[in-house]
Amino acid sequence: MLKAPFDPVQLAIPFFVLAIILEILLGRFGKAKANYEPRDTAMSLSMGLGSTVAGVLFGGVVFATTVWVWNHRIFTIPMTAVWAWVAVFLLEDLTYYWFHRIAHERRIWWASHVNHHTSTHYNLSTALRQTWTGGVAGTWLLWLPLSFVGFPPAMVAIQKGISLVYQFWIHTEAIKRMPRWFEAVFNTPSHHRVHHARNARYLDANYAGILIIWDRMFGTFIPEVDEEPCRYGTVKNLGNFNLFHNVFHEWIGIAKDVAGSPRHALGYIFGPPGWSPDGSRDTSDTLKAKWRARVEEG
Amino acid sequence: MIQLGGSLVAVALLVAFTAWLGVARPTPPLDADAAKALLAVEFPDHRPDAIWIAADGAGMIARAGTLALVLWRRGDGYVARDLPWSAVADLKPAKGRLAVRVPDARPVFAVADDAWPPRELA
Repeated sequence: MLKAPFDPVQLAIPFFVLAIILEILLGRFGKAKANYEPRDTAMSLSMGLGSTVAGVLFGGVVFATTVWVWNHRIFTIPMTAVWAWVAVFLLEDLTYYWFHRIAHERRIWWASHVNHHTSTHYNLSTALRQTWTGGVAGTWLLWLPLSFVGFPPAMVAIQKGISLVYQFWIHTEAIKRMPRWFEAVFNTPSHHRVHHARNARYLDANYAGILIIWDRMFGTFIPEVDEEPCRYGTVKNLGNFNLFHNVFHEWIGIAKDVAGSPRHALGYIFGPPGWSPDGSRDTSDTLKAKWRARVEEG
Repeated sequence: MIQLGGSLVAVALLVAFTAWLGVARPTPPLDADAAKALLAVEFPDHRPDAIWIAADGAGMIARAGTLALVLWRRGDGYVARDLPWSAVADLKPAKGRLAVRVPDARPVFAVADDAWPPRELA
């Protein structure tokens, strides 16, 4: 009930490696669209490896907190019931949507999540470009209500793992579109390409984990349009391939901004990425407004 | 530790495989049309007065009023930054290289001779 009997992510690692090799080969022999740049790939894979180490280092705190919450739960939901798995699937995915949304829309959580988005490529290795600072950022707290309601921590952990494994295969340009019914319900390579795009029209969209229905419900869904191919990365792409710069650059940026103007600390920390007291920097909203103005001007 | 060591080896092998068989995006030397297209994408709200392309085509600097719009090749893509024009105009190239300091990088541009700013931007 407390500790998951297996970790879907650990089990999937051989599949991840084989799938990356296959995608590289398909790209090499012109059978699919797949671009790989060695330093970019090295950073993605190193981020993936480092995130597992960071997870081990911080895992004790997360586990202890989760157990404490579970010990104060309202109900006890059986791990063997099918309805419980359906419920945890939906509720975990909804939690993921909101985690992901705040991870993009509030700078302190963006600082932890941005390094997943710094690749200018979109291939299966990008999926492994995971954060090292998620434990510090505290976004894992968002999953605690599930244990408080009564879902066993093991159940939540397995479902989180399933979600992460699901999200691996959608990091590809090799698949253009899935069948229409699938695109309507599930997160797909097309939807997630939009999420990783830095084009102004695509910013802050498609936060879904497995089900795209949450974006459709909460107004953050943007479809991929063929007239505007996705350009990947962040609004300001990294100037180097330094791994540690990738991990910490936004945290350092926040620290510098707060040190330079402590009275605006709350805005710099909890405002949207790009927020500044005088509005001299661009946020996603201002970039989108400028894009709309350009479109209207023709 | 054994698992970590094995993972490090696996990462190194996968990166080596990428270097061997991976297909990077083509990034031919910039010409005038490519430079303009890149500027339009990276700085859509600026109207550059003048554009200079590095001698090796691996970067460019455009002038838009009081700003220098700097673009350089990183891997198989380009990185864009804007700086005050004065920060670029006062630089001194050495041995055909012009190093520009931006907060997270120090891109180096090939200049045909050590005259700076070039006549395109002067």
